[in-house]
Amino acid sequence: MNRFDEFALEEAVRIGEEIPGTEIEAISVGPGRVVSTLRKALERGAAAGTHILVEEERYMSPFETASLIASYAGTGHYDLIIAGVMAEDDMHCQVGQMIAAILEIRCATSVIHRGTIREETSVYIEREIEEGQRLCMEVALPAVITVQSGINRPRYPSLSNVLRAKNQEIRTIDANDLWDDDGRDQLISMRRPEASAKGVFLEGGSNEKARALIRILHERALI
Amino acid sequence: MMEDKIAIIAELSRGGFTRATHEVISFARELGSACAHSEIIIIPGKNIRGLAEEIARTSGIDVIGIEAETLDLYSAEPFKSAILDVLKDINPAYVCLPHSAMGFDLAPGIAVDLGAACITAVEEIHEDKKRICFSKSMWGGKIRAELVSMTQRAVLTVLPGAWTASVEEAFIAGSVRMVKANLALGASEITLMEAPGERESELPGADVIVSAGRGIGKEENLEMIRKLAGIFSRGAVGASRSVCDLGWLGHKHQIGFTGKTVSPGLYIACGISGAIQHISGMKDSQMVIAINIDPHAPIFNIADYCIVEDLTEFIPALLELVEISR
Ligand SMILES: Cc1cc2nc3c(=O)[nH]c(=O)nc-3n(C[C@H](O)[C@H](O)[C@H](O)COP(=O)(O)OP(=O)(O)OC[C@H]3O[C@@H](n4cnc5c(N)ncnc54)[C@H](O)[C@@H]3O)c2cc1C
Repeated sequence: MNRFDEFALEEAVRIGEEIPGTEIEAISVGPGRVVSTLRKALERGAAAGTHILVEEERYMSPFETASLIASYAGTGHYDLIIAGVMAEDDMHCQVGQMIAAILEIRCATSVIHRGTIREETSVYIEREIEEGQRLCMEVALPAVITVQSGINRPRYPSLSNVLRAKNQEIRTIDANDLWDDDGRDQLISMRRPEASAKGVFLEGGSNEKARALIRILHERALI
Repeated sequence: MMEDKIAIIAELSRGGFTRATHEVISFARELGSACAHSEIIIIPGKNIRGLAEEIARTSGIDVIGIEAETLDLYSAEPFKSAILDVLKDINPAYVCLPHSAMGFDLAPGIAVDLGAACITAVEEIHEDKKRICFSKSMWGGKIRAELVSMTQRAVLTVLPGAWTASVEEAFIAGSVRMVKANLALGASEITLMEAPGERESELPGADVIVSAGRGIGKEENLEMIRKLAGIFSRGAVGASRSVCDLGWLGHKHQIGFTGKTVSPGLYIACGISGAIQHISGMKDSQMVIAINIDPHAPIFNIADYCIVEDLTEFIPALLELVEISR
């Protein structure tokens, strides 16, 4: 599971503990392998898992992912949709905001602190912005929030949840039944970035490298 | 309809334009010369006429200032609706924002509403077969991906630090048009606060910063990082966000996009992968030494000296040698 999603899930579980009766559903879009991620979500405290199945293994643009989730979520009555601030792999930082825009509900990104939820009408949040500052606000529900790492400390799965997750059924929905349109951007290539020419890799065994490093530090009068 | 404009959404902080905004202007100029479009700057804010005139003069680009009481501190609803109103008017081919907490909050929603593509954290552009390709980092900087827009319009966010702000002044000032935003009153209350524990940091004054990343493996290994920092006369301990999130060090030690920006004489990155958000906070260090077990770690792309080793063995051995050589 994406590290940012671990924080998102933990935040949901905490809300569940604060407000009895909260139902937590984990949703993932992707090929068959994402089922194992959904199982991890169940182990960590989600009550249900829904898999939006995209048959082929391919690049999904954030707009496609968001359209599928929004199409599914639009049929339910979710008070809060929580996502990670970005995906660790493609690092777009877009899906949560797009879901909110498609569903025409509120959205706040980079949430580093969540306060109380008021009678299912609003939630207090603090957004992390630049220069060590935060923007604090009440967000009307229903809403999407994307959480920043550090908002909480994700817990380990409990034994009872691990056992439950093993056999629990995960609902599968065919992506084509939800939304069928074209993406708006396309991935055309992926490569390793060029290394900067200036870097010197110290050679030899561990000891030689350490000696070389000490020499460098001496030459620069750093030690 | 001809779409021949590149709109730049300016971001304000502490009474002025953010550096990232100036960088977006540089980006938009490069994009503009690639596709023969002209730029226009849109500034949402409160009491911004002076700022609008200033940027029109220095950049030579036409400016639209959007004034409203509720556009003082950033929040998504009023900003998005005010900006969309203006965008629908000028119908630009590209909308550019900084990839900042404001920019990435706004861009995807604007793209959805405009029916535009959305490409975020752009680091490079180039032309290929008459298409403009946008490059960005994936996998924490291990991969560089190229994306193209498939629609008439695209909303782009520009990675801070990828372009340099221009210092040249334009010969001819751009025009300034001020509009009043048509916003419903009673927008929710927004307040600004300093993150807890921000102030007391020793990082700014340090000559040498030794930084710990998740690669130190466990909290106990911070001891060797502290010892390494201790061999320098003005050494301090820094950290990646992951280490602070794990609670191994306080957030005042965090370096990067959402932490401190530092430029010491020497920066030693220990077990730090080199995610762009980390690098943006330390790339102006005079010398960078990186210790990482993975020869492909992106941190090596910016390091002056690269040491591919397991730090849990390398650092104690190094400390021992330093001890002997004294
Ligand atoms: C909006 C936003 C803001 C952010 N702001 C910041 C910020 O201000 N600062 C920041 O740092 N991050 C920030 N991040 C997070 C950033 O994207 C990375 O997730 C983070 O920097 C990674 O930390 P890391 O390098 O310690 O961990 P990892 O990426 O997990 O890297 C660990 C490294 O340690 C190496 N390693 C493992 N074992 C060993 C060993 N025994 N010896 C040597 N090397 C070893 C590995 O090869 C790897 O390269 C931000 C993210 C977002 C989305």
